Amino acid sequence: MRFTLTVNGARREVDVPRRTTLLSVLRDDLGLTGTRYGCGTGQCGACFVLADGRAVASCFMPVDQAADREITTVEGLADGDRLHPVQEAFIAEDAMQCGYCTSGMLISAAALLARTPRPAAQEIRDALAPNLCRCGVYGRAIRAVQRAAE
Amino acid sequence: MTLHGDRLERRIRIGPDGAVTAFSGKIEFGQGIRTAFTQLVADELDVPIERVHVILGDTGQVPFDHGTFGSHSVEQESPRLRRAAAFARRQLLERASAKLGVPVERLDTDAGHVVAGDARRLAYHELIDGRPLEGDIPPEIAFLPRERYRYLGRPMPRVEARDIVTGQATYVADIRLPEMLRGAIVRPPVRGAKVRSVDDAAARRVAGVVAVVRDGDLVGVVAARDDQARAAADAVEVDWEVGPPDPGPDVDIPLRDDPTTEPALAASAVRRSVTYVLPSIANAPIGPSAAVADVREDGTTIYGATHRPFGLREGVAKRLGLAPERVRFISQMSSGTYGRSSSFEVAVEAAVLSKHSGKPVLVQWTRAEEFAFSPSRPECVLEIAAGIDGAGRINAWRYDEHTNVHTARWFDPKNAGGTHGRNAIPPYDIPHVSVVLHMEPTPLRTANFRSLAASENVFAIESFMDELAMASRQEPLAFRLAHTSDPRLRAVLERVATASGWGRPAPSRTDRRGLGIACTVYHGTYVAQVAEVEVASSGAVRLVAMWAVVDPGAVLNPEGVRNQIEGGIQQSASWTILEELRHRDGRVAASSWDSYPIATFRDAPERILVIVAGDATKDSTGVGEPGAVPTAAAIANAVFAACGARVRDLPLSPERVRKAMAASTS
Repeated sequence: MRFTLTVNGARREVDVPRRTTLLSVLRDDLGLTGTRYGCGTGQCGACFVLADGRAVASCFMPVDQAADREITTVEGLADGDRLHPVQEAFIAEDAMQCGYCTSGMLISAAALLARTPRPAAQEIRDALAPNLCRCGVYGRAIRAVQRAAE
Repeated sequence: MTLHGDRLERRIRIGPDGAVTAFSGKIEFGQGIRTAFTQLVADELDVPIERVHVILGDTGQVPFDHGTFGSHSVEQESPRLRRAAAFARRQLLERASAKLGVPVERLDTDAGHVVAGDARRLAYHELIDGRPLEGDIPPEIAFLPRERYRYLGRPMPRVEARDIVTGQATYVADIRLPEMLRGAIVRPPVRGAKVRSVDDAAARRVAGVVAVVRDGDLVGVVAARDDQARAAADAVEVDWEVGPPDPGPDVDIPLRDDPTTEPALAASAVRRSVTYVLPSIANAPIGPSAAVADVREDGTTIYGATHRPFGLREGVAKRLGLAPERVRFISQMSSGTYGRSSSFEVAVEAAVLSKHSGKPVLVQWTRAEEFAFSPSRPECVLEIAAGIDGAGRINAWRYDEHTNVHTARWFDPKNAGGTHGRNAIPPYDIPHVSVVLHMEPTPLRTANFRSLAASENVFAIESFMDELAMASRQEPLAFRLAHTSDPRLRAVLERVATASGWGRPAPSRTDRRGLGIACTVYHGTYVAQVAEVEVASSGAVRLVAMWAVVDPGAVLNPEGVRNQIEGGIQQSASWTILEELRHRDGRVAASSWDSYPIATFRDAPERILVIVAGDATKDSTGVGEPGAVPTAAAIANAVFAACGARVRDLPLSPERVRKAMAASTS
């Protein structure tokens, strides 16, 4: 089936089976592999994208539900060469190890800062709690979000 | 004799544009070695760091390497790369000397150029000019003086950082090749099951299916899209013959056997004997196993992630019936896997499916497959008996470690002490010691996990050190210091005590807050930690803060060291407080993050303070694992200090802690 999506500000046409997930469309049809598969059930946050500004699990969202929303992936956070403040801050705080979960964390952080520009530490923890990290960079990521908020 | 990798042309190349490429068989899993190696080559070769590119784990390009384990990468590989860079620099100076007619002693280097006293400058690439640097790297070669280094010893962001935050980094499952298809495997009910027959009629009717493959006892599906491959794999009917799994070795291995231990134990003034129990835990990488295979007549290429690039090449070649030279393995960026990808079955699966479909195939496991079919960290039962003499010193120590295989590679009793029994021998001065490793069978598939058995052994040893201190009415830090004359171990213990305010007046018992200390010497790296915990009336343990002091010898990248130690602590806190992989008859009960919870942002301690107190005169040692090693004991000792509950079984679940609290007050 044909679907028209708005991804990172551009209209994109895809022809995929109806039940295909947004995650698969992004990765397999649109070449946007920065959004990652982690669990397929929305439990780990690795596949998070912004849908109308809210962080959602793209592994759990069928493509037809994504069709009438503005989707932003990690590739769309920067404005050309100018990184988003959360991207700058994650680099500055070295808030990554393997980096596999980083895309999802950046999406959650960007969504948080858009609605709460000066979040308290507990608000950061709550907003990023859906993003699992096994390497253990939680402390650095909290500092990075605080830095991005300044 | 020249060992593999000791030829300069296999280690460092300088391109016509002055770009420097360095080669290593080690691999990057987020531990930051690419950054450390880049710093090292840039400094020793005296080139700007932006010009250095490090290729890791590509068997078509890098010298042979056994694998990336045991936090050895920096310790083993940095001297080799440093010698290679120094040798390259020397050759460049010699070439410049010939070209300029100036003796080498009157030449120097500066940011990718050889410079003469008369201000003449030659860029390195002008000295290559079609004649690559080559030759046997000498075992002894002069290095640049330390004050010339511009990058080593300074905090550096990861070289991959920008690609990671912009989503441009290519992880294994991000590889896209022309005509690439997706594979899914039909899983047996238990490992080692044999295929009796396959009915693939329904699977072949699924949209997008290209092939249903049976190759030996491997059954899989190749399709255009991942969900199609999964749906078809679910539709394949296999009649499995389930046999008993290989339970692994059953053997006792003495690691230290002082014949005087038993009489000394019997003669001790105070004796204690206890048992500690650790469950199996899952490596639980956030990114499940993945590989891309492209099997062709003219050669096979595998894109993946493993701790053993050359082991994988051999394993895939053997399964396909090819000579290893016909297979090239190219390491990709990978989710951290903490030892799990020492086993590389996913690459074999992708290779078999590619071979039969004649197309490149990507296989990525589901979360459920990752939990159910990955090897896990084994269970451990640790029995310790010790005796203390009239002067309050430990006189005798008997230790029995009961566990299963900790490595993916074939069991070898000769190196068992360094793997399955790692850190079983206490780092303390004790006159009479016996340590026996009991390798026991298990139906569960077990293999490498961060630090192998060291985390388990150090949990027992360091918990017991606290128990012995209590039993002989001594202060835990002073008790440890009284049992070691190693200046580096003493230094990290004393420094972490100062940093954490160790010995500060304990808050009232009603607060149930407490500090606990633990330490380790892990493959040459010294770590001491103090944990502060809070215990709720429910028994729930919260790690409030952690202080750690680490001495990894000469420090390459202090920020990288801090990040690794912090991560080790955070991960190990998760193991200690939350994690237990339940299984029955070899079948894992976990299938999702619901059934195997790990620490989240909400569980992160308020702070983890890492002090890097390296000794610049010592060789550099690793930091990827040691941060995780003393954490469990530091937390368990803090729980005791907080509420009097001595918990010897992990995880420190609320039920266990509550029960131990009740027992301590009764």
